[in-house]
Amino acid sequence: MSGGPLLLLERDDSLPLVHGGVCTRSGATDDPEGLLGLTRLCGRLMRRTAAGLPVEEVDARIDRMGASLGLDSGHGSTALSGSVLERSYDDFMRLFEQILVSPGFAEDELERLKRETLAELTEILDSDQQLAQRWFLRSLFAGHAYGRTVIGSSKTLSAIGVDDVRRCYQRHFTRQNVVFSFAGAVDRDRVERASRAIWEALPPGVAAAPPPAEPVAPKGRRLVFVDKPERTQTQILIGGLGTHPSDDDHFPLLVANTVFGGTFTARLTQEVRAKRGWSYGAYSSLGYDRRRQAFSMWTFPKAEDAAACMALELEMLTEWWQRGISAEELGWAKRYLAQSQAFSCDTAAKRLGLELDELTSDLPKGHYARFVASIGDVTLEQANRAIQSRLSLDDLTLVVVGTHAAIGDDVRRVIPGLADDRVVPFDTE
Amino acid sequence: MPIQNALSTSSFGPLIEHLNQGRPELQKLSHVGQAQFGPKLQIERFRMGNGLSILFVEEHAAPTVAYHTWFRVGSRNERPGKTGIAHLFEHLMFNETEGLAAGEFDRQLEELGAESNASTWLDWTHYDIAIPAAGFERVVELEAERMNHLVLRTPQVESEKEVVMNERRYRVEDDVEGALSELLWSTAFELHPYRWPTIGWMSDIESFDVDDCQTFYRTFYAPNNATLVVVGDVEPERVLRKLQDAYGSYTPAPIPEPPSVREPEQRGEKRLEVTKLTPTWKLNIGYHSPALNHADHLPLSVLSEVLFGGRSSRLLKVLVRELELASDVRASLSPLADPGLFEIFVSAREGVSAEQLLEVVDAELDRVLSEPITDDEVRRATARIELSLLQGLSNNEGKASTIGFYEVVLGNPIAGFERLSALSSVRPEDLAVVARRYLKRESRTVILVRPQSDMEEPGAPVDDDDDEPITTRRGLGVSA
Repeated sequence: MSGGPLLLLERDDSLPLVHGGVCTRSGATDDPEGLLGLTRLCGRLMRRTAAGLPVEEVDARIDRMGASLGLDSGHGSTALSGSVLERSYDDFMRLFEQILVSPGFAEDELERLKRETLAELTEILDSDQQLAQRWFLRSLFAGHAYGRTVIGSSKTLSAIGVDDVRRCYQRHFTRQNVVFSFAGAVDRDRVERASRAIWEALPPGVAAAPPPAEPVAPKGRRLVFVDKPERTQTQILIGGLGTHPSDDDHFPLLVANTVFGGTFTARLTQEVRAKRGWSYGAYSSLGYDRRRQAFSMWTFPKAEDAAACMALELEMLTEWWQRGISAEELGWAKRYLAQSQAFSCDTAAKRLGLELDELTSDLPKGHYARFVASIGDVTLEQANRAIQSRLSLDDLTLVVVGTHAAIGDDVRRVIPGLADDRVVPFDTE
Repeated sequence: MPIQNALSTSSFGPLIEHLNQGRPELQKLSHVGQAQFGPKLQIERFRMGNGLSILFVEEHAAPTVAYHTWFRVGSRNERPGKTGIAHLFEHLMFNETEGLAAGEFDRQLEELGAESNASTWLDWTHYDIAIPAAGFERVVELEAERMNHLVLRTPQVESEKEVVMNERRYRVEDDVEGALSELLWSTAFELHPYRWPTIGWMSDIESFDVDDCQTFYRTFYAPNNATLVVVGDVEPERVLRKLQDAYGSYTPAPIPEPPSVREPEQRGEKRLEVTKLTPTWKLNIGYHSPALNHADHLPLSVLSEVLFGGRSSRLLKVLVRELELASDVRASLSPLADPGLFEIFVSAREGVSAEQLLEVVDAELDRVLSEPITDDEVRRATARIELSLLQGLSNNEGKASTIGFYEVVLGNPIAGFERLSALSSVRPEDLAVVARRYLKRESRTVILVRPQSDMEEPGAPVDDDDDEPITTRRGLGVSA
């Protein structure tokens, strides 16, 4: 909109639904040291204290509209978004305005929210998968913003006060920093009117802060064994740094990873699951934020198979790195990635998500529009070069969640060249 | 039969006549009916001479097709000692066929850009493929191939058993909630096959051999026990002709009736306390609930929303917000062919016992009768149900899943919209009636989970200078 908010709209009248909300081009990486979890708390408190209303009234209004409204807080962006029945769209936008423009930030509600968040942290102890992710990212991105918590810790949450939350709100929710995005059964005039009214009530602010420095992978092979009693199964994550879509070798590595562990017939799934039955899932993936994120391999074999599975994964990684992929594999992976792109954009809400991703993850303009062509351009040489130039066999982060007394020594023995070996109790915060 | 008879209104007569010309009886199609699916789409129902049911929705919003195959067989069709065979078999369906080497089925789907998955539950087994429209014909050939030409050999069966046992460790053995739910159902039911888990008991999974799998395949995987749901960017003639070519040579089989077991009325509360490695107490309660086709199911689902649905629901408000006793409160009403369970799950805050949670839950359920539910509470609950149904229809996959589910469980593919229409007639007094009828303490099952002593005080964790990142990763599909 000229002289107005940045607004994305995907019209779709097939269902009487509207999806959307506001996304900031900044996130938890901006949380001050010692106040980690602040941005997430801020967004949740805004929702609960719209226009100084009691939270019960806000919740009842959302339910009455036939709406959902939640917060997605990441390192590089924060989104307040949801869905609403088309007939309640105007009510939804009125509430949205109250949340964004005049949050109440009641102190007692903040304290309640902090207690709820502490309970969430306790609940995480039940999930071996989340424990593995926590320690993998913490270890791989040690010292970097991406290794820091989005949700906070008991120590940092207790330090956060209402004034911190107000400052966080003023920093993130500004005209320069927000993107409005809507998809569904709503016309442009209505969306523009409502978005502009909210946008004009926000302070001008400044443009989004630059992304954090490019992360650097820790040197050597580093094992973190997260020790949890009585595990019949282990969670294993192995990986290092991947690429960002702005890197020249991003698409080549994406194609190479598809061959290695990106689909059900990829090498990893075939060897670990189909041939040996060792793990229900066996995948590798590439993540990104505003900077490079992780390349990771994920399996969860039974405890007795953990060491053998770890050894096999390292062997397969080495083979992939040293010998690359074949021309036949390249062709199949390119066809798969190009054809399946249809499902990334088969609804208005998904198309909107791609547009928003381009903006909030600092993707090259037109990244998704050119996606199929970019995949088509990848050569075998580029794919195999990307594996070697971007990934390292020497610098690997390895995380195992399991019972150390039962399998710790066996796992350590199958990792050649281990530079660092650490055992942490699973309830270490 | 909610789909109106098509004979008088069908515009498919000439097409069907044309497609059937020169075909044997098994391949001949008939247009059985049609029904409005929401405001803009229409379901067409066909049947092939061999008994194969076909539900088709022409939808050109995206250049994709959802191709779903539902079999009327789930874990309810199993017997003690052979539990989990329906689910194991679902896994095996992605293996070798007479015309495809092991791995080729998935490889060819991926070549086409397709996404495939499968799931098994108590009443059914469901295979779903999402495909760019250009690959439609090949997907039909692949699905038809495995319906009738699967090859079962010992190495594949043994390997897949290992996979399923690992799936069980993931979902049950090392998962507190999974283990708890399994215990609840196996305690609440005494006779009905719903008492054993769909994934099966570990000892049963271990014992399966090729013969078990072949027997299961021959018994249940026949065209007259399947429904195909096709939704997407394809024209009817293209769909019907291809289905005739691919499935028309398959012969029907005698399908055993599902076991007709009437669960005896539970007289007296069943209560168990178990100990698990978990940081806080957990509470799981199961009340016997009506089948999906019962008139009480809809008001009970509205009551479930009033009590547990949104943030403004009664139990969330009291347990999470006002008293701060719980970190998580949920309920689900099973949508099954036979009576199931209304299941409540509560996770306690630190220092709070399951008994304390139960006391509050009981008080709130009593309050349904003593302090009537308001019109506004019903309005909020029905709006949430409407939102949930519509959100599930956003793409061809969602539409096909909704159609297939209601068809297989109720024999009515538009039942979702019919339930939506009926919501407006649900009154607060209806909720009181179903609360009195089903939420009875004397016929419920209660499981209390005590945290093991070495996890009872997670409030004092080992300190660490770093802090933990919380991110999301790609999750697993339901199965396969």
